[in-house]
Amino acid sequence: MEAIARALDSDLAYRFRRSPVAMLAALVVVLLIGSSVFAPLITSQNPFDPGSLNLMNGFSEPMQPNQFTGETFVLGTDDQGRDVFATILYGMRISLFVGFSAVIFAMVLGVTLGLLSGYVGGRTDTIIMRIADIQLTFPAILVALLIFGVAKGITPPDRRDEVAIWVLIIAIGLSEWVQFARVVRGATLVEKSKEYVQAARLIGRSPVAIMVRHILPNTLSPVLVIATISLALAIIAEATLSFLGVGAPPTQPSLGTLIRIGQEFLFSGEWWILFFPAMTLLALALSVNLLGDWLRDALNPKLR
Amino acid sequence: MNKHTILVAAALALGAGTAHAETFKWAAQTDPQTMDPHAVNSAPVLGFLNNVYEGLVRRGKDMSVEPALAESWEPLGGNGWRFNLRRGVTFHDGAAFTADDVLFSYERASSEAADTASWFAPVSDVTVVDDFTIDFLTIAPNPIFPDSIANFMIMDKGWAEANGVELPAKDAENFATLNANGTAAFRLAERQPGLTTVLEPFEGWWGEVEHNITRAEFTPVQNSATAVAALLSGEVDMINPVPVQDAGRVAERDGVGVITGIEARVIMFGFAHQAETIKYSDDAGEPNPFRDARVRKAVAHAINVDAILQTIMRGAAEPASQLVSPAMRGYTPALAERPAYDPDAARALLAEAGHPDGFSFGLKCPNDRYLNDESVCQAAVSMLAQIGLRAELDAMPVRTYWPELREDNFDMYLLGWSPGTFDAEHPIRFLAATPNEEKRLGSWNFGDFSNARVDELLPMIQSEIDDAARQTMLDEVAGILQDEQAYVPLYVQPLIWGVRDGIELTQRPDNFFILRWVTVNE
Repeated sequence: MEAIARALDSDLAYRFRRSPVAMLAALVVVLLIGSSVFAPLITSQNPFDPGSLNLMNGFSEPMQPNQFTGETFVLGTDDQGRDVFATILYGMRISLFVGFSAVIFAMVLGVTLGLLSGYVGGRTDTIIMRIADIQLTFPAILVALLIFGVAKGITPPDRRDEVAIWVLIIAIGLSEWVQFARVVRGATLVEKSKEYVQAARLIGRSPVAIMVRHILPNTLSPVLVIATISLALAIIAEATLSFLGVGAPPTQPSLGTLIRIGQEFLFSGEWWILFFPAMTLLALALSVNLLGDWLRDALNPKLR
Repeated sequence: MNKHTILVAAALALGAGTAHAETFKWAAQTDPQTMDPHAVNSAPVLGFLNNVYEGLVRRGKDMSVEPALAESWEPLGGNGWRFNLRRGVTFHDGAAFTADDVLFSYERASSEAADTASWFAPVSDVTVVDDFTIDFLTIAPNPIFPDSIANFMIMDKGWAEANGVELPAKDAENFATLNANGTAAFRLAERQPGLTTVLEPFEGWWGEVEHNITRAEFTPVQNSATAVAALLSGEVDMINPVPVQDAGRVAERDGVGVITGIEARVIMFGFAHQAETIKYSDDAGEPNPFRDARVRKAVAHAINVDAILQTIMRGAAEPASQLVSPAMRGYTPALAERPAYDPDAARALLAEAGHPDGFSFGLKCPNDRYLNDESVCQAAVSMLAQIGLRAELDAMPVRTYWPELREDNFDMYLLGWSPGTFDAEHPIRFLAATPNEEKRLGSWNFGDFSNARVDELLPMIQSEIDDAARQTMLDEVAGILQDEQAYVPLYVQPLIWGVRDGIELTQRPDNFFILRWVTVNE
């Protein structure tokens, strides 16, 4: 209770209440995440369960009763008779899961390497940072595609669908770690020379303990900002990869896969198969990005 | 002459130059995966190569057989046919065409390394009489033999030997998969697999030129929406196919049109008939239920073909009950009814076969070969799930699909078959006869369906001259295949080509696109 009260009374909460954009963005994010988490309670159809689909419902227009079955779907159905609304909710689960997992993966990797690089210095620093520099010269999506291609080559074909999601997470995570590593390294270099670190060294604490217990907490606020912005990037990267057909399989569509499927029906006038998943992706990525922007400004003492 | 006039003159010269060049560009969903006419027996390959290579006979605009490299042919006294070859024909590299090339091509196309060996199952021997006469001896009288070799294309012996391609390579690459040297109206100018293939007219062609093309560029476009966009924007002159969902829109647009027809191709599901165990999904390693005809029948009853045709195919296809469409010779009208959609009957059949709770297995599908192939498979997965069969779908491009099927890597698979001879005997030889490399039978019978009576009837059908007696035997085979549910025929695929106005061409029911019938009008 006390912690909540303290949090509500904090500087950050005050700034949040003063920013309508941040509040709106947070509302959208909470709504989208909530509706995908509680998807089974919201829709009756599970689009990932092929047994529950009726093909005759295919290509129903939004809000119009289907010409064969008479059923009505709020956002229409796709070519397989899947309710677009249900598919978006379930598809968003994949997008969010991949997004969060990839960011956590990138964060753990980037923060660890950044701490090491900044604290140990010397040759370790040079090697890690040169790898980061090299990777920065490639567009992130290209790195992800490369990792995806290699992974596809070494997994047996019949296991591909099962590992596809994990490969996505690793591919996106590996393409995003550099930001974390650079920021944490910079902050570590600053913190390293401060008195409290020297004091900790003097009383004989181990380097790992100094890095984790003393330096890390002081580098976390920029990490939080990058993590939020990376989440939006990771969701978009997942959608891009799935759109290109190398991401989530069609039987377990993510938002990107849905957009890819819908794109085939653009010319034939079934716009809703593409439009609603695309709008959802836009709303999700935009809101997360706005939140990240706001967080950066709120945590930046120079802007106060 | 000042700079200005030079530029104008140059522009005029360029303009004049392009006015005569009739470049024709077309796009299709599937790239012909090889330039070797004996390596892969599939329509995209044979259809494309019919523009580069020629056979002894060829098919005209109405599918009738007409002379090509053979000027005439007559039955021999005993069993077999004599072909009198055309004189003065040269290959694209200038080499002369003789009977030795035919013999060489026969040996090449009927070798174990070839995918076309089944064409020559009835052949016992080939003898060269002289440079321009060759005899094909058959095991029994074979009245339709000349009809059945329209896609048997002739390769130059000297060229093949000089380049070390005496044998075709099915799944690997060699000189002949990337280069071609035929006798037909067009020669291969450039080949980049999966990207672009360029053909140019062959000046030394023996036939009368009908087309006015100076250069033809082919591009495979896997995404159907991209192909439609390319046609609408004028980037290509012709696409095959137009996705069924877009046919209406393309037909309404000014400047482009749609040519439709019923293709000879029947789309069907096939099964692993001999495999001991299920290969994929959760039940991998369990005994294979598809060996039981009742399970295969349950699949047939579970699939709502009408629903697929009304939604995914938008009413543009006809249901099929046999391995051939009603338009083919030898179709059995009495067996036109396909198993009714009846999930309850399907569940009952499964229970009777000892699988009341169903089972799981792997379903293989191509995703760039037939119209909406992946969508149809997805729909089948959900229909099968309703009777408790949990199919794990694995969709892939044909480039990897055929090798997978040849390796027996499936429990159930999707296949489309268009009989090259337009006769019901053709699918029996390829899809229903027990696979036998020595007799060159059943080369596309991936699931190893085997029925002694079908094997017994096939040679009798091939040698029967009396039409009524032949039909009776074809009817019997069709009945056996339905009783055994060797395959689950789904529907006959429509042909939908999109063409820019000003292009004249001929659509052949086997979905072969023949360039020498194209006229480009500006």
